[in-house]
Amino acid sequence: MSTHAQIKLNFGDRLERNFIALLLGLMTMITFINVVIRKLQEMDFWRSDWFAPWAEPLSTFGLQSLETTVFLFAWLGIVGTAYMVRIKGQLGVDVAINYLSPGWRKLAALFAVCACLLYTLLLLKGSWDYWAPFANLPPTEGRIWPEGFRERYLSQGYYEVNDIVMPAWGQFLADWFNDGEDYEKIPRFIPYFALPLGMTMLLWRYLRVAVDVMQGKANMIIASHEAEELVDQAASLADKE
Amino acid sequence: MEALYLFILVIFLLLVGVPIAVSLGLSSILFLLVYSDSSLASVAQTLFSSFEGHYTLLAIPFFILASSFMSTGGVAKRIIRFSIACVGHFHGGLAIAGVFSCMMFAALSGSSPATVVAIGSIVIAAMRKVGYSKDFAAGVICNAGTLGILIPPSIVMVVYAAATDVSVGRMFLAGVIPGLLAGSMLMVAIYFYARFKGMPRGEWAGWSEVFSAARGASWGLFLVVIILGGIYGGYFTPTEAAAVASVYAFIVSVFIYRDMGPLKTVAGQAPLSLRQHPQALITAWFHPDTRETLYEAGRLSVTLLFIIANALILKHVLTDEQIPQTIANAMLAAGMGPIMFLVMVNVILLIGGQFMEPSGLIVIVAPLVFPIAIELGIDPIHLGIIMVVNMEIGMITPPVGLNLFVTSGVAGMSMMRVVKAATPWLGILFIFLILVTYIPALSTALPTYFMGPEVIIR
Repeated sequence: MSTHAQIKLNFGDRLERNFIALLLGLMTMITFINVVIRKLQEMDFWRSDWFAPWAEPLSTFGLQSLETTVFLFAWLGIVGTAYMVRIKGQLGVDVAINYLSPGWRKLAALFAVCACLLYTLLLLKGSWDYWAPFANLPPTEGRIWPEGFRERYLSQGYYEVNDIVMPAWGQFLADWFNDGEDYEKIPRFIPYFALPLGMTMLLWRYLRVAVDVMQGKANMIIASHEAEELVDQAASLADKE
Repeated sequence: MEALYLFILVIFLLLVGVPIAVSLGLSSILFLLVYSDSSLASVAQTLFSSFEGHYTLLAIPFFILASSFMSTGGVAKRIIRFSIACVGHFHGGLAIAGVFSCMMFAALSGSSPATVVAIGSIVIAAMRKVGYSKDFAAGVICNAGTLGILIPPSIVMVVYAAATDVSVGRMFLAGVIPGLLAGSMLMVAIYFYARFKGMPRGEWAGWSEVFSAARGASWGLFLVVIILGGIYGGYFTPTEAAAVASVYAFIVSVFIYRDMGPLKTVAGQAPLSLRQHPQALITAWFHPDTRETLYEAGRLSVTLLFIIANALILKHVLTDEQIPQTIANAMLAAGMGPIMFLVMVNVILLIGGQFMEPSGLIVIVAPLVFPIAIELGIDPIHLGIIMVVNMEIGMITPPVGLNLFVTSGVAGMSMMRVVKAATPWLGILFIFLILVTYIPALSTALPTYFMGPEVIIR
């Protein structure tokens, strides 16, 4: 595939690619298994005695599957985006900038990166403010820019998700965030951590892109359509003939 | 007035080359900071709940995944063989078979460029071999490939459904008749053109070839039965159908067609059987081919989903500020009727579609146009199909005709040549657009018949 030729994959790249592949694979399998379980539940043998030891864990899995899938989905969308910035795969409109002279183009690219950085910074503050109370941490002061940490805030470490049961090995978190009182379901700060993590990674990637643009290594930060890679592949196939 | 600033900002950012997702998100955030008292934390919450609260959107990665497995799994060449066996003996048979293949592949995949790549890379070369001109071949496939987003399943339809809260199942059903109609119109036009030009016809290979080709393709085509049968038989939701389809597509491509995964052998040799290589049952799940397909599908999903999530922030702003309602009232006050409105939507989308990628455009325009359409009494499903057909045409009109790019890559032709080659057939799609716009029954008959009349909640 053409991406292999365009950028050399280092350890971090492979990690992020496998992360994206793994999340998508897990989401698919969990949803699929949930459908199977639901169909089994409609059958007669589900209620028979010999199946009882299986029925319970399967039902428990089924109950948790929807929420798990949805959280994996959010992680895929929010944390996965940073890698799209790295491979310059974010979609955009390139009609106008294609007409610009190289100098103006660089200026446009710089401006675009700055807009992306502004977006990421604002959302990073928003993400922290939203996530921090769930992890008993202080949100920041100020409406637009952080002006120090708030001194009085509501600790919400006790907030739990709706369905996903807290496994026993995870109860050490209860000592840290919930005054030692065991969690029944996993606490909310775990799934919501996608926000600050994703935005921090995004910030890092956009900074790298900004450096690339300033050094003249990149003059565009977007792909004009979703199929650029498909086209490259097809073209390389056509060349071989 | 404030709304105008919002849209000017979005368009300005887009034109400067800011990614679509960031343009939408940043404009909405700035608008909220200036004109309302929302906090940044609430924007972050909206972003997260775009994923958490929209179960429909989950169908997008699953459909993309199913179609990725199907494209790498060699189902395309089996569909093409089947099409040629069926219609190859007519005048212009190979071209008609190409359109027919595109229609069938469109029923497996929700994306137009994927359809052009899968079918085009085989059919265009085959057409050249039997004496068609390259331009004719490319033009036909470029147009037929757009059916990918009209014949269900369709990613653009899922995006529309998620942006406007209509049912994905209805949208899919609504696409069936228009999809078949558009395909038939293209095939009939090709047939007469071929008669007129005396284009080559193939040999009728007999029913045995039809049946044996059908058997080969049936594993892939059964996916349609799973998706549509599953949804309308009430077995599962569209999202679940998509997940089941992905798993099915994985099993078919790895264990039955064996064009990818651990059982694949070097080209020309028969693939391994499961008995020769039983460990494949486990290794298949982690095989590099599987991981690569998952990553590729994930990459496309993440790109689209981040745009959609940000567009949902924009939608949030629009709803809060009652902007669509204001525009609708202004339009009603100016005496504009539904027909005039639809023409306007057509024009906006045709122009927009020439510059922007379809899912992105739908997700921006739909939340704005939808409430107005409801006010004017236009059926939401009908509106959705009109938007999809507009996107199809946008894909084959320059400068950002997605299918034009793909076809020029697949056929190894310059963009200009593809544009010229595709133009005559574009006329047919335009006639089709007019039909779809002014005959709502084409889109609404099937969903109303199967699922009862639409209930519109204002």
